[in-house]
Amino acid sequence: QITCNLPHKDCASNNCVPSELFAARSRSHKIPVRGQKDFFPNDSDEQRQRLEQSLNEHWSLTSEERVERLGNLVKAVWIPSDQIVELQSPAGKFWQTMGFSANGKQYLLPEEALYLMECGNVQVFYRDLPLSIQDGYERFLSSATVTLQQYQVFGHLKRLGYVVHRFDPSSEPSSYARQLNLPQSRDRAGRQLKRKRSPSPTYTKRLNSFCFFCSYTEAQVESTIEKMEEDKCSLEGDDAKKLAASPDIQTATTSGADEGRSWWMTDDLGASDKELHHSPTSGSSRWDFSSIPFPDVGSSERHPSCLAPPEPSLLPGDLTVGVCDIASWRRKINLRMVKMSSKEQKREKDTRRRRWDVNKDREVRRCRNWAEYHELLARRQRKRKGRPAHLWNREVTPLHDPKQPISTGELLDKISVIKSTHLLEGASRLKGSEQWRICFNVYQPDTVADFKKSNPGKPYSRMCVCSFDGPVPDLRAIKLLAFQSGDIPVVFAVVDHGDISFYTFKDFQLPTDVFP
Amino acid sequence: MEDSPSMDDHQDSSLVVGVGLCDSAPLLWRLQDLKTARRLGLVGALLGSLPRTPRQNQRLGRPLLLLPEEEQLLRDEEAAGALPGPNQDVGGAELRRQFEEDQQRSFEEQSVLALEDRKSALRSESGAEAVDEALCGRLEALDHSFSFPQSAMAVQLSTARAGLSYCPEARAHLQASWPIREQNNPRSDARYQVFRDLRGRGFYLTSAGKFGGDFLVYPGDPLRFHAHFIAVCLTLDESICLLDVLAVARLGSNVKKTVLLCSPVPDGGVCYTSLQWSGMV
Repeated sequence: QITCNLPHKDCASNNCVPSELFAARSRSHKIPVRGQKDFFPNDSDEQRQRLEQSLNEHWSLTSEERVERLGNLVKAVWIPSDQIVELQSPAGKFWQTMGFSANGKQYLLPEEALYLMECGNVQVFYRDLPLSIQDGYERFLSSATVTLQQYQVFGHLKRLGYVVHRFDPSSEPSSYARQLNLPQSRDRAGRQLKRKRSPSPTYTKRLNSFCFFCSYTEAQVESTIEKMEEDKCSLEGDDAKKLAASPDIQTATTSGADEGRSWWMTDDLGASDKELHHSPTSGSSRWDFSSIPFPDVGSSERHPSCLAPPEPSLLPGDLTVGVCDIASWRRKINLRMVKMSSKEQKREKDTRRRRWDVNKDREVRRCRNWAEYHELLARRQRKRKGRPAHLWNREVTPLHDPKQPISTGELLDKISVIKSTHLLEGASRLKGSEQWRICFNVYQPDTVADFKKSNPGKPYSRMCVCSFDGPVPDLRAIKLLAFQSGDIPVVFAVVDHGDISFYTFKDFQLPTDVFP
Repeated sequence: MEDSPSMDDHQDSSLVVGVGLCDSAPLLWRLQDLKTARRLGLVGALLGSLPRTPRQNQRLGRPLLLLPEEEQLLRDEEAAGALPGPNQDVGGAELRRQFEEDQQRSFEEQSVLALEDRKSALRSESGAEAVDEALCGRLEALDHSFSFPQSAMAVQLSTARAGLSYCPEARAHLQASWPIREQNNPRSDARYQVFRDLRGRGFYLTSAGKFGGDFLVYPGDPLRFHAHFIAVCLTLDESICLLDVLAVARLGSNVKKTVLLCSPVPDGGVCYTSLQWSGMV
């Protein structure tokens, strides 16, 4: 058994001398088994001896340093500006489940690199000097990459053999896409490297990041639509003049009003404060509509008479589109000011003066057509007069006519006051929370042999990392996470210093005692 | 920090523990620091992979994470200081040169050792004590033909950061700038008072989130003893719901540990109440 122990001049830093390094080749890989514990301390020699032995064994194991053959180590370099580790010699077996390629090079995410450093597989350099494990922890872990607690969970699962990847909410198919059974083309998305000064984006893959990525969840789409309708109403009421409005991306259009900017350019909106790093590649399933401004050809603002061609990556296949002259289209749009009669003008004024806007009414919005709207008005009318429909519209009858046959199940349903619900009800309307986020996708160890990073398949579970110091997830958090996760169970990894406990919530149906 | 290289374990208490901050958590990296902390009765929790067998979770290796109470205790005893951060001693040309020299020297020494190793293997193969001509010839041939490839060199992947932190000058850094990260709320004050008191009585404490409490209390070093108590810390004027008391009492009896409700009292001591599950009388 070799240890790098005192006395030695370098032992403060625990540096092994070359002879120790050489001898470490034949180091044992077994861990001593821990014996039975005692119940109560007495002052016996026996106990003291056992304690000393346990402590010595403990220090001996803890003091050991990692010693590896140089040829077995993959060399890598830490790039702090991108918070990424770039491999400089070919990757080993770990490449099957970790890392990603971009720009013709191989990269590792910081947590993956740190884990591989701890396993003694990778040696990471920074400024030509090797980083210690301590350097790795202090440089790689932060709230911008992966926190210490998240790394603890990551390491714990990796050591057990699971495949663990960062969770990217935007690359999860929406429930609608899943319903349609759309084929999922998923590269193992990597996080986008900072743009160099090149004007045309040639990056081949989007990189994983749960901080910098601007994604569009269903909830966001809904809220954008709501905002659009509000905007519509706040404009002047003349429908003939109103055209399909551009989505609410005021910041984009204002910064886009700069000369030369065209709607399909998805460059950094350097002027805006929002971080919208996004380069859609053809085949990507998500466009960031907040950074793709659509032209409002019909607006009365001055507009160039020509639209430059759209960016090829936004177009399907080999389609090429040239410059578009919109002058003829503008002529076809009726841009004449409408002259209103005095009565019409007065009506306009009254409408504007009235605060209450029918379109802001939630129940009105739920009406899908005029018939439903009339029904709603009628209902309200009756309620206002204290006449609920089931009492006033027809003869009052018992909830169920005893002469009519009905199954027990249906009857129970009729008399039930509280209807049962399921976890995902209302979940799509919840807005995301800073506090509760899914961190990782976890794939089972026995899938490792066939695992493909480009098509990992469905994860076994998704991890949300929290601690006993923080709050217990409430129903809102559980709904939100279950919705984000789709049909994969969400597991809460609760970190308590060195210890991790895993909890999951399962949907449960109360059994109904019904005999048909 | 060591005063002299030939230090033994029976140390005077003027050792200062160097604490590194990672994502605002206090971590101990150097073996000496772990030993010092243990000697002060502070157990902490190991977080890293064990170098000998990294792919298991039964036994972990450095770094050691300190409880906030442990960190505070070290600070109060003036037994801890902050290690310089990662960017403070980023290598200049001097360190790079040193590194390359060290690597070269190590390679040469290992080559020599490898050759010796091969020779003694040859010798033991030939078995007999007698050194015959053939053997000598082979050994000599080995001297000429043997080459130790760079890839066979053994390299250390250091756990703790070496370098400036071990210079005497850096000791001054240690005490000076301690980041103040105290949480001034009554609950954490209560926890700290209880921790101090129990530690002062010779108990060892670790965290007890899984057990529904604040600390697990051991009568001796956790390496050798089981925990006897689950300590739940409350301020004197905090009211606790009876259902919570029942829940923690039930939990305690399930894991065969006694639950202690602990509250610091104004005179500086701590008041302890143990819960015992008894039937209806």
